[in-house]
Amino acid sequence: MISGQIQTAAYLFASILFILSLGGLSSQESAKKGVIYGIIGMAIAILSTVLGEGVHGHIYIVVAIAVASVIGILVARRVEMTSMPQLVAILHSFVGLAAVLVGFGSYLDPHTQELSETNRNIHLVEVFIGVFIGAITFTGSIIAWGKLEGKIRSKPLLYPGRHIINLGLVAVCIVMAVMFVQAAGIAGMPYLYIMTAIACFIGIMLVMAIGGADMPVVVSMLNSYSGWAAAAAGFMLGNDLLIVTGALVGSSGAILSIIMCDAMNRSFWSVIFGGFGDSPSASAKEVTGHVTSTDHEEVAEMLKNANSVVIVPGYGMAVAKAQYPIFEMVENLRNKGKEVRFGIHPVAGRLPGHMNVLLAEANVPYDIVLEMDEINDDLPDTDVVLVIGANDIVNPGAQDDESSPIYGMPVLEVWNSEDVVVMKRSMATGYAGVQNPLFFKDNTSMLYGDAKDSVLKINTFLNS
Amino acid sequence: MKVGIPKEIKAGERRVAATPKTVKRLLKQGFDVIVESNAGEKANITDDDFKTAGADIAANAGEVYQISDIILKVQAVDESEIAMMKSGQVVLSYLFPAQNMDLLEKLAAKGINAVAMDAIPRISRAQKMDVLSSMANIAGYRSVIEAANYFGRFLNGQITAAGKVEPAKVLVIGAGVAGLAAIGTAKSLGAIVRAFDTRSEVEEQIQSMGAQFLTVEIEEDGSTSSGYSKVMSKEFIEAEMKLFKEQAEEIDIIITTAQIPGRDAPKLILDYHVAAMKPGSVIVDLAASSGGNCVLTKNDEVITTDNGVVIVGKLDQLPSQASQLYGNNLCHLLDDMGKAENFQIDMNDDVVKRAMVTHDGKINWPPEPLPVSPQKPKVDPVELEVTKAEDEAATKRKQSRRTTIVLALIAIFMFLLAKVAPPEFMGHFTVFVLAVFVGWQVIWNVSHSLHTPLMAVTNAISGIIIIGGLLQTQNDWSNPMTIIAFVAILVASINIVGGFLVTHRMLKMFRK
Repeated sequence: MISGQIQTAAYLFASILFILSLGGLSSQESAKKGVIYGIIGMAIAILSTVLGEGVHGHIYIVVAIAVASVIGILVARRVEMTSMPQLVAILHSFVGLAAVLVGFGSYLDPHTQELSETNRNIHLVEVFIGVFIGAITFTGSIIAWGKLEGKIRSKPLLYPGRHIINLGLVAVCIVMAVMFVQAAGIAGMPYLYIMTAIACFIGIMLVMAIGGADMPVVVSMLNSYSGWAAAAAGFMLGNDLLIVTGALVGSSGAILSIIMCDAMNRSFWSVIFGGFGDSPSASAKEVTGHVTSTDHEEVAEMLKNANSVVIVPGYGMAVAKAQYPIFEMVENLRNKGKEVRFGIHPVAGRLPGHMNVLLAEANVPYDIVLEMDEINDDLPDTDVVLVIGANDIVNPGAQDDESSPIYGMPVLEVWNSEDVVVMKRSMATGYAGVQNPLFFKDNTSMLYGDAKDSVLKINTFLNS
Repeated sequence: MKVGIPKEIKAGERRVAATPKTVKRLLKQGFDVIVESNAGEKANITDDDFKTAGADIAANAGEVYQISDIILKVQAVDESEIAMMKSGQVVLSYLFPAQNMDLLEKLAAKGINAVAMDAIPRISRAQKMDVLSSMANIAGYRSVIEAANYFGRFLNGQITAAGKVEPAKVLVIGAGVAGLAAIGTAKSLGAIVRAFDTRSEVEEQIQSMGAQFLTVEIEEDGSTSSGYSKVMSKEFIEAEMKLFKEQAEEIDIIITTAQIPGRDAPKLILDYHVAAMKPGSVIVDLAASSGGNCVLTKNDEVITTDNGVVIVGKLDQLPSQASQLYGNNLCHLLDDMGKAENFQIDMNDDVVKRAMVTHDGKINWPPEPLPVSPQKPKVDPVELEVTKAEDEAATKRKQSRRTTIVLALIAIFMFLLAKVAPPEFMGHFTVFVLAVFVGWQVIWNVSHSLHTPLMAVTNAISGIIIIGGLLQTQNDWSNPMTIIAFVAILVASINIVGGFLVTHRMLKMFRK
């Protein structure tokens, strides 16, 4: 048994380690150490809790952790990088679920009933809030998983009056809260159940109303919520470590959401409450003109004659699993003395930083993978830009077509380079549903077909 | 469909309408290609070169004209060649329709569909087919080379042990494709370059190539909507002549490229200009074939005036280079017209309806005027700066107002909270607020490329909620609290183990 003092000290030390863990992610070099700090911090936290007073049922604890570890190891080993967004979504839902369960558990806990009036009231409010956030996070994340996995349609589910209905539901929850707090003993359970059900519903509707294109924002938002849920649980249990960790995770998710929204030039509120864009039927200016198509041999020639090449990948590249042949192409070109770099748009992929991981998986060295802001200035000096499986993020309409739904969104200005080759399966539009004037520009040629096949074919020509 | 390339018969013409590379392109477009024997001789292309590229070789011109559906030529077909052609054939070549109406009549009478490559509109979409541009580019380059050939000094300046060498001063008149090419070549050889053009829009282009833009005091813009220049007013021309006289006294090399479509070239360099030039100066007159910009120019000849000025009225065609580019222009047009499989004459197409000067027995000249791609309205840069500054100031004011309101609301909230909450709560709340600030600062520093591992790590540490489950587990299974806590511990642990492991896995992948 360790004393409460030692436990508090251990929790403090764990907090420090968690902060250092997140700080380690400021660069690739320090990141690996950061993970170690996190693991140690977590181990200290768990051990000092289990070894403290007032903990019972050790056997159940051990069994639960053991089973979970096996599941966790299997999942972490097997998950494909292209499915990372889905994994992240599921893990969010677990935090939400755990917060709900801990909330219920806290309510059932006999100690709660022993608190003084004011303390009990505050405590019940904390329980209520914790369960509320947890439930929304739980169901919202499951819907997010469904949308990412393709099991739920990506079109937003919007119905008129949904704002009023949501507000009404929240109002009902507030009423439930009042009645819950006033109930004696555990008579308030029914109110808790009702609120949980309503919150689950709100969570579902919240995420159903968001389109597939906004998934990076949604996942970041749920990341944030999972943090606040943990923090609420911390208040509920009077545990500072939970509060600190929850706050760290909450801020992290919030920052990522802000970054994603800035990168799409949309306000956070319009994403969460509005579906995609203010006028779902907004359409950009008609684009007319000629689209030049090219073939693999010509593209290989272009690359052979170029001195500097930039590759702009989109999620389509990952879907086609083209990153491996792309790595070969990059090596090939670099061996021929050409400068090859990647330009990554912040919202490329379904998660912030997703493209970076996919490229890392294909062994692409990270120092040639640049962010949009870093590479845009160099595009006018670039000879060839390959756009692979990306559409909206290279759309010039975002800069000069005010009627376009993506107007104002920062984009990669690939048209400033000497030549652009766009690899696409067809002329179909991207998520934004608008045609891309880039395809009609004089220095752009289209290479139709599956990205992976195309790159493989180009590689053969490059080697000949 | 068969494409035929006969030998050029005009005296002095050394180019040919195809090269082995363009033959390959034509074959790829689905055409069969036949080339007259020795067609490429003067451009240093042998029959074997053409054969290797995949073309058939015809013994004589007659064979080419007989079996081809499309004829590619540099110079327009003359009467003898028309005699060998048949109705319905398409011929692509230079035509100068404005000056050759009688030729058009003959072509129309025989039912030949003739495309005048020199009549292709100067729109951006047609740049790849524009022979005037591609040939002018070659002429501009060559003009400087020939000028340097006849000029008695270096073009570039030097400081040598034997003394200082002044760089040559070059004046380029007319900043179209040829003029700009001349400017570029002269600059790259080290000369001091000045350029003059009546169109004010080319000032930027001239300066971007490193030349000095010369202008007259008169405010008159010589540009027209078609991109060519127009005939200027008398006052302007007087001022122009005065400028040239001043320049003539200093300039070593003058390269003139001024042409007006359909008319004789304007006379810009008069006898007193030439008389004012130093002996050893050179004038290269690229407009020699349409009368010349200099009154003393003799087309197709190089002469020296009494005061020692060399006036060059003929230029090497660079036949190999020119044939390649010309052939490419032709290929692009054929590509646009549908290649072999879908070849059609679409008189609604902007390019075809202007360049196809005879069609179905009718003459299609002159065409309607076509404006060059519309220019963006010019916004005064000073105005733009002012509005931008105003916008920025307004946004800053809005932001500071917002921050003040938010801080005020937070203060009120804190006050109310302090009234209702027990001291223990305030303690936790303090921790919470500080942790949010710490988190905010730390996370903004995370490298963008590591955002996915960041999400995975935060998943892992949010498994800290396991503590709740750990504290709530009871000793027996029948207690609902135990079951609830068990599930909570289970899912939280999956987060912890899975989260850390997947983060580690991702970080391992990153390599330099």
